[in-house]
Amino acid sequence: MAEKGSVIGCHTIAQWNRQLQLASESGKLVVVDFTSSWCGPCRMIAPFFAELANKFTDAIFLRVDVNELKRVALDCAIETLPTFIFLRQGNIVDRVVGARKDLLPKKIELHMRN
Amino acid sequence: MAVSGFEGFEKRLELHFSGHDSLGLRRLRCDALAQVLDAVQCTVVSAVGNRYFDAYILSESSLFVYPYKMVLKTCGTTQLLRSVPCLLRHTAELGLRLRACRYSRGSFIFPRAQPFPHTSFAEEALYLEERLPPSLAFRKACVLPSSSSHSWHVYSASAADDDDRLAAGSWSTFTVEVCMTELDRSLARRFFRKKGDERSGDAVGADMTDLTEIGSINPRTLVCGFAFDPCGYSMNGLDRDSYSTIHVTPEEGHSYASFECTGRWAGGRAEVLDSLRKAIGVFRPGAVSVSFCMAPNVDENQVRSAVGDALEPLGLSCRSQAVEEFPGAGIVTYQTFTPRRE
Repeated sequence: MAEKGSVIGCHTIAQWNRQLQLASESGKLVVVDFTSSWCGPCRMIAPFFAELANKFTDAIFLRVDVNELKRVALDCAIETLPTFIFLRQGNIVDRVVGARKDLLPKKIELHMRN
Repeated sequence: MAVSGFEGFEKRLELHFSGHDSLGLRRLRCDALAQVLDAVQCTVVSAVGNRYFDAYILSESSLFVYPYKMVLKTCGTTQLLRSVPCLLRHTAELGLRLRACRYSRGSFIFPRAQPFPHTSFAEEALYLEERLPPSLAFRKACVLPSSSSHSWHVYSASAADDDDRLAAGSWSTFTVEVCMTELDRSLARRFFRKKGDERSGDAVGADMTDLTEIGSINPRTLVCGFAFDPCGYSMNGLDRDSYSTIHVTPEEGHSYASFECTGRWAGGRAEVLDSLRKAIGVFRPGAVSVSFCMAPNVDENQVRSAVGDALEPLGLSCRSQAVEEFPGAGIVTYQTFTPRRE
């Protein structure tokens, strides 16, 4: 069980579904970092994303490798990386494309308020 | 004309490598890239990647990283060539071998403000001569002239000659570099941030992209725009394995904008010519130069007349043309245009 305030890696469909289910039950905002080993910009923002997970402990932070969970990446229409998806009750409410340090915390605050 | 100001004209470096894995240069660690950019004196302001390459907007232009090709374009007084020794060290650690290097630039608006080794083209060429491995045996440095005081400077070094490269089929894409000066004042004003607008560079950049219709230059392209403070704009565009990039220095007296993209001539030429026309239309410049770098088996006469035709509806007439062959690097064309006098 991952400790509170860290990024949870989803490596299987089962893990992904479980995390979304837990989030729906608790009503928490889910922020997903879609990433890949072939992407330099993804590596660049990973530490910052971990810092955000540490800071916003009332939201759930997930990481998905688009090569591992191809179906999920396809369903979320991921083409460019990194892409950050915001989910509430299993529905996509927003997305941020690119390693945008300025925008990410603002979006998290915005969607946590709603 | 300002005594001195921000230098918009970029220095551009393209490096080709060979290796044994599918990721190649994309395996370069963040700290390795940071060191390379540090040597050049610029930093990453925005970054994105797709299946084919990574695109970074820098504090002074752009960086594109493909598995086996890297394009670094920087403006201002950056010392672009100082990236070379640093990069060669890091790529050697990854087991990658340099195969080709091409350095190009226009003429600086403020040449005396440039630091070593960019104080002259001779110095730049010497700097590369001394630092590139001897395996890059086919070398050439040339200045393509125009009818104005502006010229196009190209240095190339390649491990393989034209025949080898053509046989290997490694020449499917061309690159086009467009430099524009004397930008239309009202259009250039769109690249100034509004006073009191505290939003991020990405947010304001996205507005500028929409307002100027830069997003429509190639509708398939994913555009990442960035607005600098108090003015200036950069964008990287991703369209499958092709990139495009625009950089704007809007200040009066030394205004400048550049447009660059890659593409495939066979089957892709109409689109590129269309993009050229639209990109130049965004700025309505008083002077434009267009330089293509392409495989030696492309008909360069056809390219030059096609460019002339594409720019004609904008009221631009071709004032000079120059062509030069660079062994292992291809053909480079250089055309300059100014508005037709009615």
